[in-house]
Amino acid sequence: MNITENLSLMEKLHILTDAAKYDVACTSSGVDRKGNGIGMGNSIAPGICHTFSADGRCVSLLKILFTNECIFSCSYCQNNCNNDIPRASFTPDEVCELTMEFYRRNYIEGLFLSSGILVSPTYTMELIYQTLYKLRNVHHFNGYIHVKAIPGADPLLIEKTGFLADRMSINLELPTSDSLRQLAPNKTRKTILKPMRLIQNGITENQNELMLYRNTPHFVPAGQSTQMIIGATPENDYQVMKVAEGLYQNFQLKRVFYSAFVNVTESDTLPMLPGGPPLLREHRLYQADWLLRYYHFQVDELLSEDRPDFNIYLDPKCDWALRHLELFPVEINRADYHTLLRVPGIGAKSAGRIVKARRSGRLTFSDLKKIGVVLKRALYFITCSGQMMYHTRMDEDYICQNLMRDKTQVPAEVRNAGYRQLSLFDDDILTQAGISMNTCEALLTG
Amino acid sequence: MYTFLCENSIDGIFTGIYDAWASRYGHKNIRLHTGEVTDYELFQEYIPVTPDTGKSTKVADTIRRRLGEEVYLTLCQAILANELHTHKKGLDKADCIYRALLLGFSLPDGSKVLDALNLPYIHRIFELSRATSMEAHHLLGFLRFSELTNGVLFATIHPKNYVLPLLAEHFTDRLPQENFLIYDENRRLAVLHRAGSNYLIADASSLNEDMKKRYSSNELEYRKLWCCFFDSIAIEARCNPALQSQNIPLRFWKDTVELSPDAAPRHEPWKTTS
Repeated sequence: MNITENLSLMEKLHILTDAAKYDVACTSSGVDRKGNGIGMGNSIAPGICHTFSADGRCVSLLKILFTNECIFSCSYCQNNCNNDIPRASFTPDEVCELTMEFYRRNYIEGLFLSSGILVSPTYTMELIYQTLYKLRNVHHFNGYIHVKAIPGADPLLIEKTGFLADRMSINLELPTSDSLRQLAPNKTRKTILKPMRLIQNGITENQNELMLYRNTPHFVPAGQSTQMIIGATPENDYQVMKVAEGLYQNFQLKRVFYSAFVNVTESDTLPMLPGGPPLLREHRLYQADWLLRYYHFQVDELLSEDRPDFNIYLDPKCDWALRHLELFPVEINRADYHTLLRVPGIGAKSAGRIVKARRSGRLTFSDLKKIGVVLKRALYFITCSGQMMYHTRMDEDYICQNLMRDKTQVPAEVRNAGYRQLSLFDDDILTQAGISMNTCEALLTG
Repeated sequence: MYTFLCENSIDGIFTGIYDAWASRYGHKNIRLHTGEVTDYELFQEYIPVTPDTGKSTKVADTIRRRLGEEVYLTLCQAILANELHTHKKGLDKADCIYRALLLGFSLPDGSKVLDALNLPYIHRIFELSRATSMEAHHLLGFLRFSELTNGVLFATIHPKNYVLPLLAEHFTDRLPQENFLIYDENRRLAVLHRAGSNYLIADASSLNEDMKKRYSSNELEYRKLWCCFFDSIAIEARCNPALQSQNIPLRFWKDTVELSPDAAPRHEPWKTTS
């Protein structure tokens, strides 16, 4: 390890931010807390983005590692102990200073403290706890804190930390325990799930107590989240989404984050990704994740053992709708909220607005446009007062071709890779896009 | 036909609504107009409205009581929006609110009045209030304070809509023990907040321009630290400037620290160490 003594605060901040950047979660959402009039800070439930970095991701929290002097050797992680990179550790006071001064200037919404494993999990957790304790009780910081629970740390410490933080997370890292064994020899599924269960139980207990005693301190009020690395191991989308669904149902997680794998360590056990990180795949997983959380979809509706991966050309909702044309078109003025939610081009907000607005009169297509429905996607699946917008065939291939003309549907890299997709002879791409060879032939011959 | 000319403010428009209602000319014969009239019409009587806090409070209380707090807030946000009327349809802000109130008071449940988005004037209110609340929400994040020599936190913003009241509420709650000043350079108004007390919004046209550049001794150091953090947090392999400027529109850049074109050139001490 390359540990340098006497680093300046600037150098430490650089090293430990750089080390933390592959953690995706940077949301400050989930908890509404008024200022207390004495300390500094409050929190609003939708969260606030303070800026956006050069990769376009939201910067909401001061996302840093406490230390990157890690004793673990997870091969996907740039901080693994075999990697030759500069190492540094903050002191609790330095973290407090940075948080308070940045927060005052409205640079950040709070702190996101993660850490490599220094000495032992419990030792590291103790340091994190001390930092949070100082921040809350010495500096009277009342803003948002997201903290990582270190797998394998003393449960008592994790619980104590939970009363100081807003959100806690434990990274699942990889979707299956086999992959974990392969790439992260110091971590096991069990050590990760155990604290996750502990926090879940803590939250449930705390909620019961809060019902009885209003002034009970809050335990992890913004819930817990986790993260999986996508593309480092051979799992397919179906497996990944199944794991996510299980976490939402069994562990009541608030969010599961997906992180497109970036090969930073160049270890030979890991795949080389010549095309860059699998950003499109990550994008599709997030889209599906939204479908699970807000649109009442089940993973088995979107994917199956036979079709284990998402369509790269169409978003999961369009893809689902195309395979279930028997359910469409739906009548905007009559369909219930849950049916509207399943129409491509209608989101949770516009579905809600439709249900409310139609009480005062029949809606037309121009009303829908005002309400925020994306008509270029929705028009194939809806009727207003029994009429479709244009004369449209309810035919899978026809609709699919039209949907794919939509530039927002297909990300730039795929679009540029091919005007090829319009070549009817490239059957591989066409089958992926859901167009059967028969139609192609029909198109060619007739 | 009668046109009531309202001042472009919450008090102005609510007073206009009060006067129009009290005039008993009949709702069909009344129009409300916000701001200056540019083209006068024949056979139209123009009645100027002098803002009156008493009348405005009465209207506000009635809206709150009969239509609920949520509708009241949305209407206020619509009034704070910059645009006065649409160019095409001539939907005037004050007139839209007047029509919405007429409808709202006639419904059995007035709190649902803003749901009827198929009506043009309700949709207009929806658009206006969304513009204000979106911009205010953006600025809750994109606004940057600088510490001055006297310990005061100073922020300059250039918003399209009049978002100062919304920002003031938020930052007063967030930073109760700080002296801060948020300066809207477009309107030359400022929120002033003294530690431990409530805020006030005041005319700041006589603001000393040099004052806001008198940074405290630590200020530049923290700016550098912040820029260092900002540069380090981006993942090179995912670089996506288009997404960045989609998420933080360019018009906000000049008032931030990290994206401002006249930010201090980044000195990068880590380049030598790593």
